[in-house]
Amino acid sequence: MNRKKDKGFESPRPFKLTHQVVCINNINFQRKSVIGFVELTIFPTVVNLNRIKLNSKQCRIYRVRVNDLEAPFIYNDPTLEVCHSESKQRNLNYFSSAYTAAVSAVDPDAGNGELVIKVPSELWKQGDELNVLKVYIDFSLDQPKGGLHFVVPDVEGSMAERAAHVFSFGYQNSTRFWFPCVDSYSELCTWKLEFTVDASMVAVSCGDLVETIYTNDMRKKTFHYVLPIPTAAPNISLAVGPFEILVDPYMHEVTHFCLPQLLPLLKHSMSFLHEIFEFYEEILTCRYPYSCFKTVFVDEAYVQVSSYASMSIFSTNLLHSPMIIDQTPLTRRCLAQALAQQFFGCFISRMSWADEWVLKGISGYIYGLYLKKTFGVNEYRHWFKEELDKIVEYELKMGGVLLHPTFTGCKDKDSPTPHLHFSIKHPHTMSWEYYKMFQCKAHLVMRLIENRISMEFMLQVFNKLLSLASTASSQKYQSHMWSQMLLSTYGFLKSISNVSGKDIGPLIKQWVDQSGVVKFFGSFAFNRKRNVLELEIRQDYTSSGTQKYVGPIKVTVQELDGSFNHTLQIEENSLKHDIPCHSKSRRNKKKKIPLMNGEEVDMDLSAMDADSPLLWIRIDPDMSILRKVEFEQADFMWQYQLRYERDVVAQEEAISALEKFPTPASRLALTDILEQEQCFYKVRMLACFCLAKIANSMVSTWQGPPAMKSLFTRMFCCKSCPNIVKTNNFISFQSYFLQKTMPVAMALLRDVQNLCPKDVLNFILDLIKYNDNRKNKFSDNYYRAELIEALTNSLTPAISINNEVRTVDNLNPDVRLILEEITRFLNMEKLLPSFRNTITVSCLRAIRQLQRNGHIPSDPSLFTSYAEYGHFVDVRIAALEALVDYTRVERSSAELQWLLTLVHNDPVHYVRHKILSMLCKNPPFTKMTDSALCNEALVDQLWKLMNSEHIYWTRGNASHCLLLLGCLKPRKLLVSFGFWGLADRLSPHSALHIHAVVLHRLLVFHCFFYYLFFFQGGYCGALRTPLFCQSKHPAAQDKHCFSVRFLTYAPAAVCACHDWRLRCGAVNFYYTLFGLTRPSCLPLPELGLVLNLKEKKAVLNPTIKPELGVAAVMDSPASIGIHGVGMSYTAEDEEPDPISLGVCGVGQPPQGLKRKAETPLGSPPEPGQVLQQQQDEDGRGRYKIRFNTMEEEDIDMETVHDSQAFIHHHLNLLERPSTPGKEPPLMEQTLLSMPATPVPSFSKETASSSSKHGGDHGHHHHHHHHEHKKKKKKHKHKHKHKHKHESKDKDRERDRDTPHAYSNSPASGLSLRSPSLSD
Amino acid sequence: MADPAVTPGGALNSSGRGSGAKAASSPAENYHLARRRTLQVVVSALLTESGFDSAEKAAVETLTEMMQSYITEIGRCAKAYCEHTARSVPTLSDAVLTLIEMGFNVDTLPVYAKRSQRMVITAPPVTNAPGTPKSLSAGQKRTHPSHIPSHLPEFPDPHTYIKTPTFREPVSDYQVLREKAASQRRDVERALTRFMAKTGETQSLFKDDVTAFPLIAARPSVIPYLSALLPSELELQSLEETDSSEQDDQTDSENAAGNINSQDDPGADKENSMLPPSAVVSSAKANEDNMIDNPYLRPVKKPKVRRKK
Repeated sequence: MNRKKDKGFESPRPFKLTHQVVCINNINFQRKSVIGFVELTIFPTVVNLNRIKLNSKQCRIYRVRVNDLEAPFIYNDPTLEVCHSESKQRNLNYFSSAYTAAVSAVDPDAGNGELVIKVPSELWKQGDELNVLKVYIDFSLDQPKGGLHFVVPDVEGSMAERAAHVFSFGYQNSTRFWFPCVDSYSELCTWKLEFTVDASMVAVSCGDLVETIYTNDMRKKTFHYVLPIPTAAPNISLAVGPFEILVDPYMHEVTHFCLPQLLPLLKHSMSFLHEIFEFYEEILTCRYPYSCFKTVFVDEAYVQVSSYASMSIFSTNLLHSPMIIDQTPLTRRCLAQALAQQFFGCFISRMSWADEWVLKGISGYIYGLYLKKTFGVNEYRHWFKEELDKIVEYELKMGGVLLHPTFTGCKDKDSPTPHLHFSIKHPHTMSWEYYKMFQCKAHLVMRLIENRISMEFMLQVFNKLLSLASTASSQKYQSHMWSQMLLSTYGFLKSISNVSGKDIGPLIKQWVDQSGVVKFFGSFAFNRKRNVLELEIRQDYTSSGTQKYVGPIKVTVQELDGSFNHTLQIEENSLKHDIPCHSKSRRNKKKKIPLMNGEEVDMDLSAMDADSPLLWIRIDPDMSILRKVEFEQADFMWQYQLRYERDVVAQEEAISALEKFPTPASRLALTDILEQEQCFYKVRMLACFCLAKIANSMVSTWQGPPAMKSLFTRMFCCKSCPNIVKTNNFISFQSYFLQKTMPVAMALLRDVQNLCPKDVLNFILDLIKYNDNRKNKFSDNYYRAELIEALTNSLTPAISINNEVRTVDNLNPDVRLILEEITRFLNMEKLLPSFRNTITVSCLRAIRQLQRNGHIPSDPSLFTSYAEYGHFVDVRIAALEALVDYTRVERSSAELQWLLTLVHNDPVHYVRHKILSMLCKNPPFTKMTDSALCNEALVDQLWKLMNSEHIYWTRGNASHCLLLLGCLKPRKLLVSFGFWGLADRLSPHSALHIHAVVLHRLLVFHCFFYYLFFFQGGYCGALRTPLFCQSKHPAAQDKHCFSVRFLTYAPAAVCACHDWRLRCGAVNFYYTLFGLTRPSCLPLPELGLVLNLKEKKAVLNPTIKPELGVAAVMDSPASIGIHGVGMSYTAEDEEPDPISLGVCGVGQPPQGLKRKAETPLGSPPEPGQVLQQQQDEDGRGRYKIRFNTMEEEDIDMETVHDSQAFIHHHLNLLERPSTPGKEPPLMEQTLLSMPATPVPSFSKETASSSSKHGGDHGHHHHHHHHEHKKKKKKHKHKHKHKHKHESKDKDRERDRDTPHAYSNSPASGLSLRSPSLSD
Repeated sequence: MADPAVTPGGALNSSGRGSGAKAASSPAENYHLARRRTLQVVVSALLTESGFDSAEKAAVETLTEMMQSYITEIGRCAKAYCEHTARSVPTLSDAVLTLIEMGFNVDTLPVYAKRSQRMVITAPPVTNAPGTPKSLSAGQKRTHPSHIPSHLPEFPDPHTYIKTPTFREPVSDYQVLREKAASQRRDVERALTRFMAKTGETQSLFKDDVTAFPLIAARPSVIPYLSALLPSELELQSLEETDSSEQDDQTDSENAAGNINSQDDPGADKENSMLPPSAVVSSAKANEDNMIDNPYLRPVKKPKVRRKK
């Protein structure tokens, strides 16, 4: 196992970051922009560190200095656009692999980054001593789409009066969105953070606030923070706003912040926090690691809870007044989660992505302990069962969730999770749902470990980890010690074995290294003669998401004489287990029956089978396996279990089982439970719904009033007049929850005509009518909302006659009553809004239900208006949910478009994610169904969303072109003018903006040429394409900068590239709609036969034959990538070569190269291309560097941009020495520090690259052959500069001229032996 | 239906003008006409005084109009003066000031009033004052004692001075009360929402009949979370009513900063003894409030004048 290998932490970077300064000296709320600089203190760990790779997204970088010397740098972010627009590929496998590769290419955990800084040669010629480097980067952010979120309400007044605020956010490591850094959880350093904000604002950030100083004009103040504990950049955050400050009355080092006017709510909501602190500190026997803690409540939060070093950012919607019941436990849970993550996640960070599960697991586990302590064991067990059910359901539906993926020899085919349509190699490629389930499974597994080694040991392990980390953190100047603060799977397991001395290997292997859950089917027979219980436990381990379980399983048998635990061994072949029964004696008269918990109860045993002493049987009662159990036992056994088993999980299981037994006995058992006040309220709530189902099944034989009615009357109505409900008094929360739930369940009752009984409806209407909250200490908004939900539940489809149009006149009288209530509630809500607008939410749902059932005309306009920005987020979500439903039912493309526009544009990230996830849950159509909505335009649109392609993006993006100008040499001036000409051709679309671009003189060149740099900066929303209208001759200018004109394109409003989660959401949606393969609505590709060069087999194009098996489908990314046949794909490529064929998938390299070939000189780097380049960086990079000479020429494109394939192909050819193989030893050493990969031979490189060309041509010829003429033209001027590879190019030209020959090429013959050809 | 709706409104308007009219079909108009007629007589008298034998009706009308505006203006101004000095009834000086202000020489007034040839106009006939409704008078009213002039109002009914317990059985039936409360509330709510819906923009669920089930249009707010999270005043009020103990606690912690002596009150004492931890902590907290060393509470430092970089 590779886990064994990563004993010590090895940084993937050739340097160690020790300290970082982040200074943001201007935050402009009006323009939503930020200006600042960072300074990273870096210790090189290799001699001659010549390149520094950092992460930075969407920041515009003005200049970079290393130790006060200007440093050239290049910026490239392949994730901006995953696949190029011109590709007609609409295949999800292809996209996924491209995206994974793109993310890998900038993954800091692999030592990569978007920003490559060339260390000035003065600094790296210093010989052996490794000196500190200070990298200073000036940057700005303009209208950031990710990383920082500005909330600026559009009212009169100053920014503070408007409650404008800004805060950082992100999914996983996303700090690079707001300042350049090493965006890895494993690169720890100390921090100095400075934020200059308006005097009316407060800047809250990580660490200790050292001082606050006014600026000289007294209009602003600077907050100085120092974070002496080594912390990873992703754990740094910031919140700025006119916050009200509350110092925790119990813990003065804890400060709470909320938006103006909410202070009373904050006081109440936070009054509880100290208890959580005490709890964690006590169980972990460790003080809270940071010297202070801050909670900030912001509007439009990305997620409800996000934890950063010494601070947490919460959604402001968690705040509540003392009158609110339902929100209170939820808010406390969120606080507890945040605090648990402070210890594990912020203070102790993860070593690599594969170790994420440990941290999520531990924080989830201790959060569970907190739940147990605060909300009780019942609540805890209920929650645990809920979580278990969730993960089981997800895994059975979607396939397994793998906690500890290993990526050795990582190839696409070996993906540990082939069932998924995304890669789990990076957090940023994973779907959010999967990640949630991942977290869920992680803490469940932690509890499994606890079961094995006991809680005491578990806490000891945590304590040990924390003490190690805090020792390490106090080593201020020994940064090598800091890796003790990183937690790896290996370290965790080692700790466990040290502390407990137990081997939990099998457990880890089962649940951590493998995905899937266990599915048990149990049944039994009682052998009276032998007095033995013959238990049969079968497993399903073949269907998706399951795995085989071998090992112990606990079975609890409740007999007449008591409850007995048996531990059985599940083995490969044995299904049957004999369990001897203890109860020899037959039914004793009046003898009490002892239960598991020692209690002895009287039972009415008349329902029992006279022959058997068995009351009930439970399999794995402690949930010590991640499993689903379907157990068969008689209905009376379930009833006994429900009544007498004291475990809430058992009761809930019994309730769900009883649904299948609609008998009077079940009814009685459920009613008894409902009435039993000692019973856990959530079980009673569950019983309500079960009772409703049973009543519906028994409708013809049901005696007496509708189910639950008399019960409700007895519990909640006046004694004197049973039809009137008591005035509200919610002092007893249990009965409050029951009172809320019972009407909802009752409304599900149906009579023989399948209508809601008239009594029930009137009863609910009466409840609404007589509801009186005047004397209640608590708000009744949730109760009223539930009553509306009850009305909704009572609705049944309208009987429609000849599709008549629904009008007011032909309204059903019952519906009219319901509608009147809803109207009144909804209107009252405008005058007296309820907490979180719960009532509006319920009303919107009710209206949609009325529409769906055909009572009122189906019309989306109401929902559209409620879904607009400016309503409370819950209301918006409810309205959007209705719209999503409308879209599906009415197949309305207008609404779908509207929703997708919101996904593009909405200012609230949460809403965007939510729309996509709702669309996935309730898709307008699926791959199985035919729909008019499914058309090419939609495919393109979604593809663009995933791909983050700019709408106005024309071919050849000038801003990218300019990147190339970075280190131009005089001789290349021609090239640069070429670019400018190109830029000129891009005609303006919209307003003209003047921007200053800093132009730096590159002194090292010893000439007066300036290099330009411009950062695309990740502007998708407002794409800026620079256009050099007036390019005065640089040499004539004796200044270091001059202004250049830019064209701002109209906002293209595609920002998925700024939100990993959104992109993953879009991928999910695409998957839901179209599946993995090419969407069926697209025109068929011209080639029916595809050839997989890597495997040397040809298959029918899966898009033509969509019913191909999974294996064929999995082939498709590669095969579609290379429709044609690569002429020179030689045998060398056959051997596993993770470098060139690796994660990017086979489809990728040709794709990248295709672009190279067809785009004009120095065209934008193709994302795919670059990522591929990053992948085979070693190979190619080394190759190039070999050509490099170490004279003054050395600062050349090759060294600086050696990751840039396009340069390699277009520009560097100019400089390529005629004699290859000159190896600069210094370079070699640098490279040795990189992850070891096979060194490709020169010849191989040539071969593979040329073969790729071949493949490339083959690939695009059928799409673009009509464009050949144009392309050739463009190539002309490029060829001028090619000395060396002219001949190769000629070959290419020839290839190009005969594109159709490919299908007949000899290479296709190679693949004839492919079995799939016969399809 | 329409008529009775208009009538009370008209009556209301007329009484608003201070005429105190009752039940007449259009009393306001009558009064107006009467005044006008009187003025016309006055104008005619003045004309006669000045030696006119006859005048055109239109001329008289015009003069009447002018006279009326003049008097009205005097009244308005006098009222303004009186209100300016925070009184409600104009005094003579107000009237005099007004006249002066309007350019009238007040000194000439007595002379003018005492002129020989002035004509005396008989007072217009007074309509009989509306009698007090019978139903309200009970018993014999006391007559004025001798020292009270007769023009002063009469004594009220003897019933005013005595207590008359009216024993209608109060509705104590719980069901009826609840029923009443519920329907009252519902009616109020319905009326209010209907009104709001009528006066503002609405949305409708039906295309054919926009007025059925009108929904007040959803209007996005700038800061939506405020209204959604903060309890409404109504709720706060009911909270105050129902829950005094928590309120005490709250005010405790809020006021405690200044005066901890508020515990002298025996009631408060009891409260505190019931909630020892929180009360102690809150007062303890209050004591420390000033001493808390939290970096966010520290004063912002002034910039150093010379900061060398």
